[in-house]
Amino acid sequence: MYKRKILFVFIFLTVFAFAAQGLLTVSAQSDNAAKAPDQDLVIAFNNDIRALDPHNVSDTLTISATRTMYESLVKFNEKQEIVPLLAESYEISDDGMTYTFHLRSGVLFHDGTEFNSDAVKANIDRCKDESLRQNRIVKQIANAEYPDPYTVILTLAKPNNTFLNKMTMFDFIAPATIAAGEEKILREPCGTGPYTFKDRVEGDHVTVVPFEKYWDGAPQVASLTFKAVPEDGARVAMLQTGEADYIYPMPTTQIKVVEGKKDILIDAKTSNIMRYVTLNTELEQLKDKRVRQAINYAVDKDAYIKTVFNGYASKVYSCYPETIQYYAPQPPYDFNLEKAKALMKEAGAENGFKLTIWGDNITSEEKGMQFIQQQLKQIGIDVDVMPMEANVVAEKIQAERDKAEVNMWYVNWSASSFDADGAIRAILHGESIPPGQYNSAYYNNEEVNKLMDEALAITDPKILQEKYARIQEIVWDDAPWIFLASDQVISGYKSYCSGIQLYPDGAIDCSKAKLN
Amino acid sequence: MQTSTFIDQPIKKAESRAKYYFRKFFQRKTAVIAAVIILIFLFFAIFGPQIAPFDPSLPDYDNLYGAPDAVHWFGTDEFGRDVLSRLLVGTRNSLGVSLASVLIGAAIGTFLGVLAGYYGGIIDSIVMRGSDILFAMPDILLAIAIVAIIGPGIINVVIAVAVFTIPSFARIMRSATLSVKSSLYVEAARSIGCKNSRILWVHIFPSTVQSMIVNFTMRIGTAILAAASLSFLGYGAKVDEPDWGAMLSSGRNYLDIAPHLVYFPGLLIFIAVLAFNLLGDGLRDTLDPKLK
Repeated sequence: MYKRKILFVFIFLTVFAFAAQGLLTVSAQSDNAAKAPDQDLVIAFNNDIRALDPHNVSDTLTISATRTMYESLVKFNEKQEIVPLLAESYEISDDGMTYTFHLRSGVLFHDGTEFNSDAVKANIDRCKDESLRQNRIVKQIANAEYPDPYTVILTLAKPNNTFLNKMTMFDFIAPATIAAGEEKILREPCGTGPYTFKDRVEGDHVTVVPFEKYWDGAPQVASLTFKAVPEDGARVAMLQTGEADYIYPMPTTQIKVVEGKKDILIDAKTSNIMRYVTLNTELEQLKDKRVRQAINYAVDKDAYIKTVFNGYASKVYSCYPETIQYYAPQPPYDFNLEKAKALMKEAGAENGFKLTIWGDNITSEEKGMQFIQQQLKQIGIDVDVMPMEANVVAEKIQAERDKAEVNMWYVNWSASSFDADGAIRAILHGESIPPGQYNSAYYNNEEVNKLMDEALAITDPKILQEKYARIQEIVWDDAPWIFLASDQVISGYKSYCSGIQLYPDGAIDCSKAKLN
Repeated sequence: MQTSTFIDQPIKKAESRAKYYFRKFFQRKTAVIAAVIILIFLFFAIFGPQIAPFDPSLPDYDNLYGAPDAVHWFGTDEFGRDVLSRLLVGTRNSLGVSLASVLIGAAIGTFLGVLAGYYGGIIDSIVMRGSDILFAMPDILLAIAIVAIIGPGIINVVIAVAVFTIPSFARIMRSATLSVKSSLYVEAARSIGCKNSRILWVHIFPSTVQSMIVNFTMRIGTAILAAASLSFLGYGAKVDEPDWGAMLSSGRNYLDIAPHLVYFPGLLIFIAVLAFNLLGDGLRDTLDPKLK
């Protein structure tokens, strides 16, 4: 009996001790001196760096790593403007068919050979292989000419105003490495970038070191390592202890914990990520435009940003965020329950109905879906939240059209080439209805389709602005989605780091990185 | 006069036996406290929605991650919902699942165990080897495997927990049956020509009930933990339902900024499991004939 009492007391003390400890660790963080302990820059990501073939990468994190070693002819600057990189300058013919690039001279590959038009040819020839992802760029080229070592003339098969945007993603590998084959490219990456490859351990890290003969001046750090740290808490802890100097993404719930500690800074930027919920326009309950508009009015976007993103997201006023070309803001669907209920009544749906919402079974998405559920309850729509494994959702979305079960899909889209076509074609064009693409709203507006197709052939920015503005206006009014928000990309870093650029698509540019 | 005393005696004896158990049970204070706690939990399970101070699913976006205060005794969660209300309403889910699953498991396990113990032979071998196979796997792993096969959801969690509850009942009931089977009164019953089924359910089964009750209480603690674990892993309650395990699971994401989201559901699970185990201990001390 007595022993048991002691046990009781002991157990309770343990429980309370744990709770108290939790509270204490939150309040007592170390205040390190803001001085870099070494010149080895460590960046922690939430995912593994995949195979380092710049012609075959698709995820932003791996692109961040390949970009340290490889470069393209043109690139985006921090304002999303296209600026020359390996090309000193370029000209586009008036019909939008011919692109002439004048290459920079004195640029060396890591193996010591010179970057010239022969190198460009070797890379373009390699990407004629359809199994490579960058084939989507090369297949637009009908004819390539190389009149001298520093000039490349590319002629397109048909006009496409997004070609230059896509060229920002086309990196150049040393011709000798290409000749040696895939295996060599993966094991000994060789480009013109500011860093050269040192080593890679799959599932753990990639390390690069500065390239002394880099044409724009070698980086000033001793080495740069990308580490894969999937657990949010672990990544933040690494930043706190200094094991990592820079982390991406910074989990929004943890910002409060590290914010205000003098050696840790947060960088939050508007992104090109559009968060939305597709509304199946072919579904009986959602057929009526007024119902879809009512749903948009019923969702409090401010509360959404506050609850799901802890404030680190921006409101959207169009079907793509302002970081994308030809953005045209529309009159917002401000939170208005009266209006929402009136619209529901007008559409004869005042008694409400039932819907399901699909999404990935990760914390933030489950939270977002629950939020939608809470909001739509206010206008009598009963939402069943169905989080699923990412692959399962993807499979279910790609069902045949007549077997489609999707009601609402909580999803996001980011166009890494920052062009308007890339931001909408795969998710709003009639030809992108699943299976195949991602138009799970089954939205098919003839005028929108036509405008999108016409716009591709136009080069005059003024007309393009008009066309894309019209598209955004129609889509906004038709409301095939719940237009939610645009995420912010957020990184956390030690105050002694400088020169690391975080781009709106979550890519990181370390060419000018410095540790003070 | 004499006859009346003879008639009186057996009645008196029956009363005193029940009294004897009660007296013995009430001597064990921890068990009594545990029983009271369980009664309180049962009260919450039945009247939770009525006594909850707030609507458990009503969000308040202006009061996210609110610390415990005079209005929200247990604080508010990531949607500004009242944690206390969610816990009260969630009691039904957590207790219901464990009670239902143990009840099902106990019924099947008892039936199989009694049959195996009484008939022996091939039935005994099949039941006991089957139990051994189930015993060979860790409880929670087995439950996860079952839920992974039949899909997530509350009903399936009940099935999964019931399945891993069966072997412990089968084994205990078998051994109880074996020991009663050889007693004199069973032999007497058989010798006057009772059928097997009558001997089994009228003569043997009632004597084994004590062991069953003890194991029943003990297993509920395990079942609460298992159900909470499955919900924690996302196999049980739906994300939007109030459920102790699910609350613990979603709360762990905010451990740094709102420890109360983990603390209170964890504490409740802890108390409930402890209460059922202590009650089980008390009942065993009271009812187990070997400990008399």
